Amino acid sequence: MNVLGRLYEYRELLKSNIKKEIRGKYKGSFLGILWSFISPLLMVLVYAIVFPYILRVKQENYFIFIIVAIIPWTFFTNVITQGTTAILSNANIIKKVYFPREILPISVATSGLINFFISCIIIFIFVIFSGIGLSKYVLLLPVIALIQYFLSLGLIFITSSINIYMRDMEYIIAFIMQILFYATPIIYSIDMFPEKYRWILNINPLAAIMASYRDILFYKQMPNLTSLGVVTLISFLVLIIGYVIFRNLEKGFAEEV
Amino acid sequence: MKDNNYAITVKDVYKDFKLSSDKPYTLKERLIFSNKNKKEIRSILKGINIKIEKGETVALIGVNGSGKSTLLKLMTKIIYPTKGKLYVKGKIASLLELGAGFHPDFTGRENIYFNASIFGLSRKEIDQRIEDIIKFSELGDLIDTPVRTYSSGMYMRLAFSVAINVDADVLLIDEILAVGDQHFQDKCFDKLMELKKSDKTIVIVSHSLDSVKKLCDRAIWIFEGKVRKDGNTQEVIDEYLKVCQ
Repeated sequence: MNVLGRLYEYRELLKSNIKKEIRGKYKGSFLGILWSFISPLLMVLVYAIVFPYILRVKQENYFIFIIVAIIPWTFFTNVITQGTTAILSNANIIKKVYFPREILPISVATSGLINFFISCIIIFIFVIFSGIGLSKYVLLLPVIALIQYFLSLGLIFITSSINIYMRDMEYIIAFIMQILFYATPIIYSIDMFPEKYRWILNINPLAAIMASYRDILFYKQMPNLTSLGVVTLISFLVLIIGYVIFRNLEKGFAEEV
Repeated sequence: MKDNNYAITVKDVYKDFKLSSDKPYTLKERLIFSNKNKKEIRSILKGINIKIEKGETVALIGVNGSGKSTLLKLMTKIIYPTKGKLYVKGKIASLLELGAGFHPDFTGRENIYFNASIFGLSRKEIDQRIEDIIKFSELGDLIDTPVRTYSSGMYMRLAFSVAINVDADVLLIDEILAVGDQHFQDKCFDKLMELKKSDKTIVIVSHSLDSVKKLCDRAIWIFEGKVRKDGNTQEVIDEYLKVCQ
C-alpha cells in the first residue's frame, strides 16, 4: 500500500505525462495555450450579457462576479471530463506495459491545477483593473484550489475506473456537470437561491468551494471556515474512497479496455 | 516473505478469460441483456507452480495458445490471476510489446525518455544511460528525427535498446529474439548472454529452440495451462520435440 513510494519511483513518468497533458491539449491549434484563457473568458462574456441585460439580474460588477467563479469551475469540469476518459484513452499502453495506473488520473488533475494557476492571472488582471483590487485573503487561493484538486482527483478515480466497465459514464458525467453548474452558486449568489431549496447548496461541496473563491477575490473577506473545513474533510474522504475503488477495479483494466 | 531466494514465485495460479462475443459496454446493454448474455469462460492457466531463483535464465516453451504469454503478462502485473499468488522481486523490464507508448511525433531521443520513464527510471538515471541506448540502437543521427519516419526494424531496435538498458533485476521477454537484421539479432543475443552472466533473472518465451538451448539453463514446458515438464533445457526440449512430431 505504499502509494507515495511508488509514485516517487515513477516521478519521471508522472512529470512527462503532466507535460504531455498541458502541451498536447492545444497541439495544432493556432492560439495554443492561449485557449485556456480565451475559452472561459468567452463563456463569461456570454453570461455577462445574458444575465444582466436579458434576465435582468441586479448584481454590481456582474462580470467580475462571475469571472472569479467561472474560471475555478472550468478547472473542475476540465478535470472531471478529461479525467473520466483518462484510462480509456490510454488503452494502448495499459494493455502493453505495467506502470502505476493512478498516474493517469493524477496527471489529468495536476495539469488542470497548473492550468488553473496560470488562468488566475486573468482573474487578477480583471479584479485589479475593475477597481476591486486584491486583499490579503488572496493568499488562501492555493489552499482552496488544493481542496478542489483533491476532491476532483477522488471523483475521477471513481469515474475513470467505472468508465472502463461501463462506457455510459462519460455521458452521465456530461449531464451531471450541466446540472451541477446550475446547482452551484456561479452565475448567481447563494442568497439569490430560493430559501426553500437552499439545502441543495448545503449538500453540494462545490457550492462552498465556489463561494470561498468569491469571498476572497470579490468580497475581499474571510471565507466561511466551517463550511470550508467540512468540504476539506469530504474531499479527503472522497479521495480515499475513490482510490480504494480505483485499486480494486484497476486489476481488470488491461482485459476490459 | 519466506521465499527469499526466489526472484519469481508463482503459486497455484489460475487465469480465466471471459469470452463473450458481445460485451455489455453500456448501461442499457447491461440491464437488458444481463441474463441473456451467457459468458463463456475459458481457463488459460490451470494451477501453475513455478519458482525461479535469482540469476536464473529460464525459457517457457509450448505450442501456441498454451498460456506462455499469459503467464508472462501476469508476471509483469499487466493482468492479475483469477486465483493464486504471484510474487516478483525487484525491478521488472518487460519486452512483451516493444515500443509500447512510443509517440510517433516525438523524436527518438524524446521517446527514449518517455519509454524509460514507463519502466520507472528517473531523469538522472535516463541521462546516465542515454548514450548507451543510442549507441546500442545504432540509429546515429536519426535519433533526433520523429519516430514516425523510422522503418519498423529501426523502431524495434530503439525499443529493444531502451528495454535492455533499463538495468532491471528481472527481464521478461516474449518472442523478440527476432528483432532487426542478422547483425542486430546477434548483438541482442550477446547482450542477453552478458545480462545472464551479471546475475539478472531472465524469463524468455520463444519458439526458437536453438537460441533457447544456447541461452537458458532451464526450460519449462507449458502444456494446456499446466506445467508439463520443468528442468534442464536440453531434456525438456528433447521431450517437447518428441511429442510435437
